Amino acid sequence: MTDPVQIDLVVNGQPRSAAAEPRRLLADFLRDDLGLTGTHVGCEHGVCGACTVLVDGEPVRSCLMFAVQARGAEVRTIEGLAEGGRLNPVQEALWNSHSFQCGFCTPGFVMQITALLEENPTPGEAEIREALSGNICRCTGYQSIVEGVLRAAGHDVPTAAH
Amino acid sequence: MTDVMPQRYTGARTRRVEDSRILTGTGEYVDDVKLPGLLHAAFVRSPVAHATITRVDLNGAREAPGVVAVYTGEELEARLHHDEEAKGPQFTTLATTKVRVVGDPIVMVIAESRYLAEDACDLIEVDYDELPPVATFDDARNPEIPPIFEGRSNVRELPRATFGDVEGVFARADRVVRAHLDVHRHQNVPMEGQAMLADYDAASGRLTLHASTQGVHAVRNTISGALGLDRSRVHVVAKEIGGSFGLKFGTSREQIAIAAASVDLGRPVKWVEDRTENLTVSGQAREESFDLELAVTDEGDVLGLKVDMILDQGAYPGMGAMVPSIMQGVIVGPYRMQALDFASTVVTSNKAAYVAYRGPWASETFLRERMLDLAAAELGVDPLELRLRNVAGQSDTMITGRSLRSCTARESLEKIREVVDVADFRRRQEAARAEGRYLGIGIATFIEGAPGPRGDGPLGRERMTATVDTDGTVLVFTGQMPHGQGHQTTFAQVAADQLGVPIEQVRIVVGDSDRVPNSATGGSRAATMAGGATLHVTRKLKDRIRELAAELLEANVDDIEVEGGRVGVRGTPVSALSFAELATAVEEGRAGEGASLEVDLTYDGGEGGWSGGTHCAEVEVDADTGLVHIRRYVVAEDCGELINPAIVEGQIRGGVAQGIGAVLLEKSAYDEHGQFLAASFMDYLLPTTTEVPTIEIHHLETTPLDADVNFRGVGEGGMIVAPPTLVNAIEDALAPFGVKIYEQHLPPKRILELIGAIDPE
Amino acid sequence: MKPPPFEYHAPDSLEEALDLLREHGDEARPLAGGQSLVPMMNFRLARPSVVIDLNQVPGLSELDAADGVVRCGAMVRERAAERSAVVHERAPLLAAALPLIGHEAIRTRGTLGGSLAHADPAAELPAVALAAEAQLVARSAERGERVLGADEFFAGFFTTALEPDELLVEIRLPEVPAGSGVRFEEVARRQGDFAMVGVLAVLHTADGVIDDARLALIGVADRAVRAREAEAALIGAKADAGAFAEAAATAARDLEPMSDLHGSSAYRKHVAERLVQRALQGAAEAAGVR
Repeated sequence: MTDPVQIDLVVNGQPRSAAAEPRRLLADFLRDDLGLTGTHVGCEHGVCGACTVLVDGEPVRSCLMFAVQARGAEVRTIEGLAEGGRLNPVQEALWNSHSFQCGFCTPGFVMQITALLEENPTPGEAEIREALSGNICRCTGYQSIVEGVLRAAGHDVPTAAH
Repeated sequence: MTDVMPQRYTGARTRRVEDSRILTGTGEYVDDVKLPGLLHAAFVRSPVAHATITRVDLNGAREAPGVVAVYTGEELEARLHHDEEAKGPQFTTLATTKVRVVGDPIVMVIAESRYLAEDACDLIEVDYDELPPVATFDDARNPEIPPIFEGRSNVRELPRATFGDVEGVFARADRVVRAHLDVHRHQNVPMEGQAMLADYDAASGRLTLHASTQGVHAVRNTISGALGLDRSRVHVVAKEIGGSFGLKFGTSREQIAIAAASVDLGRPVKWVEDRTENLTVSGQAREESFDLELAVTDEGDVLGLKVDMILDQGAYPGMGAMVPSIMQGVIVGPYRMQALDFASTVVTSNKAAYVAYRGPWASETFLRERMLDLAAAELGVDPLELRLRNVAGQSDTMITGRSLRSCTARESLEKIREVVDVADFRRRQEAARAEGRYLGIGIATFIEGAPGPRGDGPLGRERMTATVDTDGTVLVFTGQMPHGQGHQTTFAQVAADQLGVPIEQVRIVVGDSDRVPNSATGGSRAATMAGGATLHVTRKLKDRIRELAAELLEANVDDIEVEGGRVGVRGTPVSALSFAELATAVEEGRAGEGASLEVDLTYDGGEGGWSGGTHCAEVEVDADTGLVHIRRYVVAEDCGELINPAIVEGQIRGGVAQGIGAVLLEKSAYDEHGQFLAASFMDYLLPTTTEVPTIEIHHLETTPLDADVNFRGVGEGGMIVAPPTLVNAIEDALAPFGVKIYEQHLPPKRILELIGAIDPE
Repeated sequence: MKPPPFEYHAPDSLEEALDLLREHGDEARPLAGGQSLVPMMNFRLARPSVVIDLNQVPGLSELDAADGVVRCGAMVRERAAERSAVVHERAPLLAAALPLIGHEAIRTRGTLGGSLAHADPAAELPAVALAAEAQLVARSAERGERVLGADEFFAGFFTTALEPDELLVEIRLPEVPAGSGVRFEEVARRQGDFAMVGVLAVLHTADGVIDDARLALIGVADRAVRAREAEAALIGAKADAGAFAEAAATAARDLEPMSDLHGSSAYRKHVAERLVQRALQGAAEAAGVR
């Protein structure tokens, strides 16, 4: 039972299957076995949030799940968001707000933001900051990300800083 | 001769071209690169700080499942080229006879997966004879502790520098404000750690390196040198870089090791450092202590400064030894000091190497702005007024000889005075104190030579090339290596404006040592040097377009105009060609044999200029818990003409966030045995959405110096000036307790110690 | 940092899970939410040769209230509990603690039983168990059901009284008296971090006089603790600042917290006293005391 196990699951609406050892982390399974490198690995101890994906609709740190535990699950990653090759409204809002810089934290943020807005379509700034407090960005100082989410939630966002 | 063109992009919040990759997860970072037969490296690393290695037992690691090769220090060294003339401390790429830092790499395992490589590492046993560690400045000065590098003292005094009549100035002073300040060790922590994939193709003899770096040529030069390969045989490519903040300016020993392994095995080898490696041994910065004297008059004139500093550069060489001299060049800042005495010592210790970290010289601003507040308190003068009294004007020159042309420090202080109602704050502060709540306000001012004004030497060089592709795309090739700065957008904005084309028609090519000029990103140079190079090279391209169009259309070049992405004879619209048509014609030889749209230009920075500003923070300190809440943070800054305000603001806010982290959360802590204590994100704490406030930014109108290029750098400023801004505010908040702060790291426990609520440890 | 190899089992019945635990004993670790175990495995600090995944075992995720007791299956996810009306109405101590646990993505997977069995001295749920005087129900293949009181369950630093072949299957939280006020005060370096110090206070008053008081502290010892001497002093006292200050001093007096990178022993002791005051103040307000 340390041998590779066949793992069948649905990723971004598509049935996928690959074999992996039980110890293979879901993050590595997505990236290396399924070729979906959009999900990033930032710490492997569940703190930075870069690896966040949606499993059965809920945000999960994919570095803290073994791929074998996701058998039969529906997983959504950043690659599954664009609609017909176009940015979805959340992605578009983040683009308009210059939300990100180096992009390494971005997939985790975008999935956490997706989960937030699916549960609460019109969060205020404080709710947004709390909901995203488990995702670490080293580049932006977060304000541009918060503005992007406010924009995605339909708030009027002043583009000037003062 | 320039046509009038509408400025469409420069100054606008143009959306980033990078984001179509970033937001969809289709950007390629090193760990995303997949190649057939790819192997993975892991390292056995020292758990002790300072020791001789007495035994390395591979215990069958070479035969472990999935293992392809194992390299001990000696085995690796045999595959490397050694420069007999090399100066500096002697050490092997993987440790052989001794280890000098926790995390020092000793054995490299190459296997089919990182999982299997780590399994094999677990089998390997290393025995150590521990040596006394250098974990503090006192340890370094202790003659009983053996040198970390043979034949080299752990302590090195650097040349002392003196400017102005130090003795006279200090004799004249009404008083001398004295302090000892400590800045703690902290570090870059990009979200993507160091990473490299080395791919040696034996058939062609070419080594391709996929790098996460700030400059592909530097990687090429280091690796080719280390392996004894001709540079022409080494090709470095880089796509997305997940942040760096200076860490990836150099090439690490592990990266040299995997490159050698790839050559040896004829297979691609990848190393992606994990977070423990990144925190423990990739590099750290800022551990410095200062003995300071500031000469002042009772009226509040700041006359001169004496600095005696000591810096802990870690074990293996980094940039630590260079930092004091860089500090010295900017420490008097925008103030009219008449004398500076600067002495410095660098110690080698059993800690991670001191690497470049966003504004490596930043402690000069910390110590100066702290001393100004300490002086203000002693003199009974308001800190803002003290600064305004002493701030230099744009026609002044620093006592160290640098011109302060274009420095708008005065304007930034005045802007803060305008937008922050200090009198109202003081009323609120008093009311809060009556309720046992402690509010504080602090300011700090900085300047940054980004690139600095021409006046005390050239500003460097930045070469760029440009052309038009046969599909009409304007290609600009730059050695800049953006890692979050959005260069592929900002340079495209400049280029698009010069050529009058939509930005979608411009592509900024980066990250390929075969195709881009030799340069690197760092030092907040890019805005001026590369922004300026882009402006001038695309202007030159436009001239070339007109010349070749004239040739092609058999017209006089003076009658050729470039407008709306087309080039033709003025007044004859039917003659106009698209860029694609022109480029195709040129390629087919119809504009003359040997004609080419490729242009090449090296830019010297023009007149350059200073960047700088003043930050102001309002904080509340909870005297029961020691937690600090930042209630308001205001920036008044001048970085010249803005290419893209959104990108500038992002750089400032990101830098301020790192400053907040430094003061309230981050410490690369070692114990007295040199044992590293912050090897995970549970212990090395980064600020999150709930620690970084909304940051208000006011852009000041700059003083243009140059006819064409007044973009100035902004990447490092936030991180340079945020720490003293916050510490000044915290000291103001704790004034009722009589607290004076002589350090930069203020976690909750420290706050309670300072106010006397608990005993220090 | 990749985890070492292990033999993986995903039993689909409690019986099978318990048989596996009996068979493998110390070599095995049960896997619940994984939010504590998997990081330790990734660091290679935990190296179980057998992992028993409990996520397919039915019957461990029930959440209901009857006869004054809220019963939570050990595999109830923290996030599910956070959203549960039963928890909000009938288990206010749990409701107060849950939002303080880490971040949403942690709580999506983390389980009530997993957190309690992990027994981190800075975790919030052990304080809930202590203050509620919970009963923790364990099962083993050999000995069947065993019910432990919260006091005996937490045995030390990351240590519980569970035997190697036992699984925690249910947590029973007796309801607190109607009209009780609850407040969980915590000091952490950042939002969502483990508490440096935390205090869960529960007060019930009649005419402004305290007739039920519970104080559970975390981050101050090798396990969560009840401040029983301080509680006893509060019974019969008027619910006012003076009583709270005295209770806080009593609660903090004999504490000897550990020091670490984030806070010294002196810091934790000092803050514990302040937090007890704040928590009691907050509980009193929640109980409607003016």
